[in-house]
Amino acid sequence: MSTLIALTILAPLAAASLGVLLRNRVVWRDIVTVIGLFASAASSFIMLFTVADQGSYRLHVGGWSPELGIELVADRFATLVLPVALSIILVVEVFAIGQRRTAWGANPELTGPLLGVLTSGVSLAFLTGDLFTLFVAFELILVSSYVLLTHQGQREQVRSGMSYVVMNLLASTLFLFGLAFVYAAAGTVNMGLLAERIPELSDGVRLGLGAWFFVVFGTKAAVFPLFSWLPDSYPTAPTTITAVFAGLLTKVGIYAMIRFHTITEMDALGPIMLVLAGITMVIGAFGALAQSDVKRILSFHVISQIGYMLMGLGLFSTAGTTGAILFLVHHMPVKTVLFLVGGLIENHEGTSSLDRSGGLASRKPLIAALFAVPALSLAGLPPFSGFVAKFAVISAGIQADAVAIVAVALIAGALTLLSMTKIWLGVFWGSDADQSDILRSQAGIVSTSVANRRAMFGATGLAVAGTLTISLFAGALFDLSEKAAFELRGDTPAVIDGAEDASAINNGGQP
Amino acid sequence: MIAPSSPMVRTGIQVATPLAVVVGIYLLFAGHNNPGGGFAAGLVFGAIVVLRSVADIQQPSRARELMAFGVLLVVIVAAAPLLWGDLVLDQAVVSTKVPLLGKVKSGSALPFDIGVTAIVVGLVMSLLDGLGQTGRGTDLDASDDRTEVAA
Repeated sequence: MSTLIALTILAPLAAASLGVLLRNRVVWRDIVTVIGLFASAASSFIMLFTVADQGSYRLHVGGWSPELGIELVADRFATLVLPVALSIILVVEVFAIGQRRTAWGANPELTGPLLGVLTSGVSLAFLTGDLFTLFVAFELILVSSYVLLTHQGQREQVRSGMSYVVMNLLASTLFLFGLAFVYAAAGTVNMGLLAERIPELSDGVRLGLGAWFFVVFGTKAAVFPLFSWLPDSYPTAPTTITAVFAGLLTKVGIYAMIRFHTITEMDALGPIMLVLAGITMVIGAFGALAQSDVKRILSFHVISQIGYMLMGLGLFSTAGTTGAILFLVHHMPVKTVLFLVGGLIENHEGTSSLDRSGGLASRKPLIAALFAVPALSLAGLPPFSGFVAKFAVISAGIQADAVAIVAVALIAGALTLLSMTKIWLGVFWGSDADQSDILRSQAGIVSTSVANRRAMFGATGLAVAGTLTISLFAGALFDLSEKAAFELRGDTPAVIDGAEDASAINNGGQP
Repeated sequence: MIAPSSPMVRTGIQVATPLAVVVGIYLLFAGHNNPGGGFAAGLVFGAIVVLRSVADIQQPSRARELMAFGVLLVVIVAAAPLLWGDLVLDQAVVSTKVPLLGKVKSGSALPFDIGVTAIVVGLVMSLLDGLGQTGRGTDLDASDDRTEVAA
């Protein structure tokens, strides 16, 4: 088990350094990168099954005690989210290998190694058991993502990259201050120990810390007042990069929030979270409706969907946390697939603008099919995974008698469906005038070879199959999410709230 | 710039280089139990690289390779204990008696620190590379123009 944890974090890092050393031998570099990412993803899957079987595992790095050293925790929550995240990166890397000869293809010399570093950071962020290592992981992710975002050096990318990096660095600085506050108040930054000590602090200090970290993680997750950097920067990056960012980065923020605020029992922040969740959902959905570019619409959806996860967390019930976790698991692959399809559209049409493309459904039915499945899933239609996830969150809301937020969530869902329809009308239906050749040559896309296209379609198809698998195993995933939620909430030795927790367990047992 | 043309600066940097290397190596070894360590050593080495580059004595090359080598070394040291069934990042400490120096204590933290040093130096070098790129880019453009005129 300890080997698996180490492998998940170290394999992509080793692959990244080998990828740089081998950068002139293209084939070997790609093979090494894919092997590294695959090793990481494979070991995370083994971890999922081991932990589901035998329970959580805590690794004290170098044999140091938790007070002194770094602790890596493979609990149910981490091992449930990690395989999904790592498989996404693997799929995107395959897509990127196929896409490299197009104008939107990211520079493969950089993308492979940097994705390796990013993967390592994401694994570390999910597996870490202390706040300081979480900070380090955030920095690792931020640095590599900043380079990935701007490496093509186009004016637009550098401009929006600035707002991305400034907002995120601000959040990191606040994070660092927050670490100092936590250490001053509780004498540790280890999350297991914080779960015991923070609930014992006086209300003012406790809620102050909770609010502080809500701002930190909220910026990373693009929650309502702090989301401005996201729709600005994401669409400018190469498609493959945006796919990873949209699928993962904000989710790392919401993951940290779910973990921190649940184990430290910040229930009192629930109402504020719910209000912000509602606004986030609606703003994201309206923003998406106002856009006329596939990638921009999808970027606003990222924000809107963050609202649902925040809603699940803000309910502070086992059912709510279960819903948030399930939503997280469903959302990551679906969002990535949609952006990959956006890449296919761009690759084929020469543009991702709704006004300039059209009639793709008759010319390329395969792309239309690949788009339809995750789009309906994101909008929350049965039988797809989005339905199960939304249902879990909303039924948790109904259980908690939070009628207002449930109504807002349903309205936002309808708006999401509306903007998906907009993409469908603009890109797949509409005028059949095939302008793709002109637009492609304007954009400087060299025609892709069969092998490249096969890699791109293969990767997208695989990812769509993955999202379908999630809806197939929705029941099992719901169970896993519920167990993870129990573990997160039960982590705290609830002396005073013992009776309340017992009732929560009874409620959660009957979905 | 004054730096490349001034003999004072050039000679000063050339004299300072070996001294700074010694300080860097000291920091690298001292880091195990005293203030210092791979990061500090890397900064000292990086400072030398910057000075020599600014004074046009020597231009850095292979920055990325150095970084990649550093990361690889760190990963290997971190993962090596797994082969013996120990925890990740566990360290082995060796102490031997060396003539002249007496008892010397070292361990797997040393290659780890060397890896960190390599990453920091590589980073400084690639920063220099990046900062210099605009200037060099225009030079290249100019030479391209010239070849076009010649053609």
